[in-house]
Amino acid sequence: MPLPDYDAIIIGGGHNGLVTAAYLAKAGKRVVVLERRYCLGGSAVTEEIFPGFRFSVCSYVVSLLQPEIIQELDLARHGLEILPLDCSFNPLPDGDYLMRWSDPDQTRREISRHSAADAEAYEEFGRTMTFMARFVKPILSTEPPDPTSLRPSHLLSLLGLGRRFRDLGEEFQFQQAKLMTMSAVDFLDQWFESDVLKAALSASGIIGSFLGVRSPGTAYILLHHYMGEIDGSFRSWGLARGGNGAISESIAAAAREHGAEIRKESPVARIDLRKGRAIGVTLESGEKLRARVVASGVDPRRTFLKMLDPGDLDQEFRERLSRYKFRGSSGKVNLALDGVPQFTCLPGSGPHLRGSIAISPSVEYMERAYEDAKYGSFSRRPYLDMVIPTLTDPTLAPPGKHVMSIFVQYAPYHLRNGNWDDRKEEFGDNVIDTLAEYVPDIRKIILHRQILTPLDLEREFGLTEGNIFHGELSREQLFFQRPLSGSARYRTPIRNLYLCGSGAHPGGGVMGAPGRLAARRILRDGNGK
Amino acid sequence: MGATEKRGTSRFDAIIVGAGHNGLIAAAYLARAGKRVVVLERDREIGGSTRTEEPFPGYRFSSCPSLSPLPPRIHNDLDLERHGLELLALPGTVWTPGGNGHRSLLLSESAAQSKEEISRFSAADSERYGEFLDLLKRLCRSLAPQLDNPPPPFSPHGIRDGLELLRLGGRIRRLGRKDLSELLRIPLLSLADFLSEWFETDLLRAQFAAGALIGSLAGPVSPGTASLLLYDFLTGGNAKPGPRVIPRGGMGNLVRALAAAAEGHGAVIRTGAAVERIQVSGETARGVALRGGEEILGQVVLSSADPKRTFLRLIDPIHLDPEFLRRVDHFQMKGAMAVVHLALDRLPEFSSLSGQPPSPALRGRVRISPDLEYLERAFDEAKHGCRSAFPFLECLIPSLTDPTLAPEGHHVMSILVQFAPYHLQAGSWEEEREPLADSVIELLDRYAPGLSGTIRYRSVLAPSDLEQRYGLTEGHIYHGEHSLDQLYLLRPLPDCAGYRTPIRNLYLCGAGTHPGGGVTGRCGFNAAARVLRDWQSAKFR
Repeated sequence: MPLPDYDAIIIGGGHNGLVTAAYLAKAGKRVVVLERRYCLGGSAVTEEIFPGFRFSVCSYVVSLLQPEIIQELDLARHGLEILPLDCSFNPLPDGDYLMRWSDPDQTRREISRHSAADAEAYEEFGRTMTFMARFVKPILSTEPPDPTSLRPSHLLSLLGLGRRFRDLGEEFQFQQAKLMTMSAVDFLDQWFESDVLKAALSASGIIGSFLGVRSPGTAYILLHHYMGEIDGSFRSWGLARGGNGAISESIAAAAREHGAEIRKESPVARIDLRKGRAIGVTLESGEKLRARVVASGVDPRRTFLKMLDPGDLDQEFRERLSRYKFRGSSGKVNLALDGVPQFTCLPGSGPHLRGSIAISPSVEYMERAYEDAKYGSFSRRPYLDMVIPTLTDPTLAPPGKHVMSIFVQYAPYHLRNGNWDDRKEEFGDNVIDTLAEYVPDIRKIILHRQILTPLDLEREFGLTEGNIFHGELSREQLFFQRPLSGSARYRTPIRNLYLCGSGAHPGGGVMGAPGRLAARRILRDGNGK
Repeated sequence: MGATEKRGTSRFDAIIVGAGHNGLIAAAYLARAGKRVVVLERDREIGGSTRTEEPFPGYRFSSCPSLSPLPPRIHNDLDLERHGLELLALPGTVWTPGGNGHRSLLLSESAAQSKEEISRFSAADSERYGEFLDLLKRLCRSLAPQLDNPPPPFSPHGIRDGLELLRLGGRIRRLGRKDLSELLRIPLLSLADFLSEWFETDLLRAQFAAGALIGSLAGPVSPGTASLLLYDFLTGGNAKPGPRVIPRGGMGNLVRALAAAAEGHGAVIRTGAAVERIQVSGETARGVALRGGEEILGQVVLSSADPKRTFLRLIDPIHLDPEFLRRVDHFQMKGAMAVVHLALDRLPEFSSLSGQPPSPALRGRVRISPDLEYLERAFDEAKHGCRSAFPFLECLIPSLTDPTLAPEGHHVMSILVQFAPYHLQAGSWEEEREPLADSVIELLDRYAPGLSGTIRYRSVLAPSDLEQRYGLTEGHIYHGEHSLDQLYLLRPLPDCAGYRTPIRNLYLCGAGTHPGGGVTGRCGFNAAARVLRDWQSAKFR
């Protein structure tokens, strides 16, 4: 048999695929990354959509990117610079607003305008959540043990988990149990009385999922917002200088330095098997590449159903895979602006605009937005999460101009009436109308707008059903069940084929964890042979 | 029922607060073990929400109808038959009439018949139905032993707890890998997702979903609601098609038999004896004080009242940790169900029922739940604090099985109505009570034209009425949601699961404990077992 061309082929040059490539190359493997598009990064990408304006087209903030990856791959040296976002601003329809700053005293003063009790509770809440996040965080950097397996390594790992849970102490055990089961709003109800604060916090429970702030199970996602870490401090979010594409570029640079080959505009048509083992891929151009292992950074449905023949997988696996839920629920609107948007409740271009800005004025608003989507239409008044990165990183736009990144939820992939191609502009208008209730002159300063519907996310970025996390981050699709129970440790039913994208544990977000863990799994398996 | 009082006896081994079915079962078991027991019921009648009422001469209703027999063990141990309980079999059918020219669906305890019925809608669904039931059966079989035992402590300490957990793990592991991964997955799903994995017929999905949702404030799209279906199959509740029984003479006869059994073993049952305070000194329960000042001492106190009533009303807060009280306060028990009882001149005539009346379909459960979206929309309204304009209904006509409940030829019909939230966003149940009944009757009229004209009498129990009349806080018929964060070793709270409470010698024995609501008797049974075990280990000396 001829020698394979590579040790590993990585399908997809998204940030996770690049992380896997970098780690494998660093371990001395011959690696090639095959990216379908003209640029790297997948959904962590910076593109110049309009001349002079550069956008983090999909993902737009960074926080979860694992510090060990930044360190081990020396990303700072490869050009990664993270600029902290140190406030969140929630304009309200009645002309008031809620501000939260990284400075606790300032935050307390701001919250006490809405409720003195909440201002007190907020700090305690933060402490509790940070503590809980410390419990969960190591889980995100470990291969999940499978409780259905009887292998000693799994049992030991489970036991270790149990011991760590026990060591939390009764109070935090209880909180953890609540976090895993309750809705974001029910959980927040235990802490706070002011609707404004609850609404603002609850939003992080639903990002990227087709659930409402009152849906059980959303409390857990709140925790993710306390897992962010920049320079060792919890609860920080930031922007990458140069946009989120700069993250991918820095990882790619690290990978190349270690000898990885990265090929753009090389779409993979099919994963090739011989005797049930992956031996390489065939590109759409017809070119065939051979490798000892293939790792796919593409989501599970695309990997298994589009790049393999139906006969390659057994019936039961395909059936279980068909139950894995995508259900994209969000869209994106990117604006090129002629100036800084002026919010009625807090005019000017002060520091309040340099953090994240969210339209989530009340719990009822959030829940109604979800209900629209539940019955098959995009939210008449959606939840918006925005940043204006040019206020921190002016290189992204011409002098005096700005870019604004608007994450929009809910935008269900499956519309009951019409289709996304026909309703795309209406969707965009609806977002601008919503924003105009807080920024009346927004239309006057819009130079260009880019609208990304869930269908666009699927077509352009390969996100099945437009799900930004490669599959919902719902409880039954996490940990040892991501993507499927029994195939959650980066291996697949096909030997030598691995998953290294967000469809694997611990899931989506610009985290890099699946990529890193997959590389470790591949290296460990390789040593065993 | 006359109160068998023994005034002057003010010291007992065990005091039981509340003479609902769980309180009576706990009393009977403790008395049977030789303890001196007194049951204190605030109402003039025993039974709590399990009683027979005759609000209109000649027509008798079960306050909250339940169709599951008590576990055979309780039935035999307490010799309920000898104490006057007679169970009548109902057909195990669930019938969902089709409205507006849609087809009806009749599921029965016979899988073969049900499959044939389902095949009229979908061959694929019919094919999978047996497999679906088998899966649930297997999962339930591995969970069932947990029903009759106190749950292990939430926060295990020491070797004994560790061993118990290992035993539990071992038992569940016997399911095998495939079923185990289903067991770990299904409870997290929504009913809509779970049922859609199996069936394409929406009427079939909706019929199961509605059955599982009865008593809960959740919609079929809410994540975690598939656990309600599993729970329902486990306890033989509403969703599961299968044989059912009702006590002759209504639910009141069940509690009467339980009371007779308890009294037969020497328990004292006092009605009109409202407990005002559970007395605590030195972190230990010492007895109770009744309204009117009378004090009764007991070595242990068991409360069958719900957790909020027990901890927030019956105990002086100085005896409890503020953090614990806060948790109790956050215990979810927002009732969302109303009950409508109708006295009817004659049997309703459903337009989609053909054949000679009375159709056997009417003897079982009749459910108005046309599709999943209907259920979800009904829930959405409740979530926002409004009663559903189009609620889903669970109807039962027990007089078809037990003619003694109504004058000859006449019938009684009891309807569980969802959703009717206890907490209304606007207005009060005083104003909404009758409009609710009107809308229920109007809805039924669509399926059974002319039904409204046959009503001789109606009574409506809004959630606020369930609270006032039966002591169900916030009108929650299960003493608390059966949500994942409030089940098993978390029910009602991790620090008072397993029937013990933070106060020594005070136990819970009501539906707010594992395994939860419904007339299963298991809470009272398990609580009595826990108390007796603690007694043996001389914890009370």
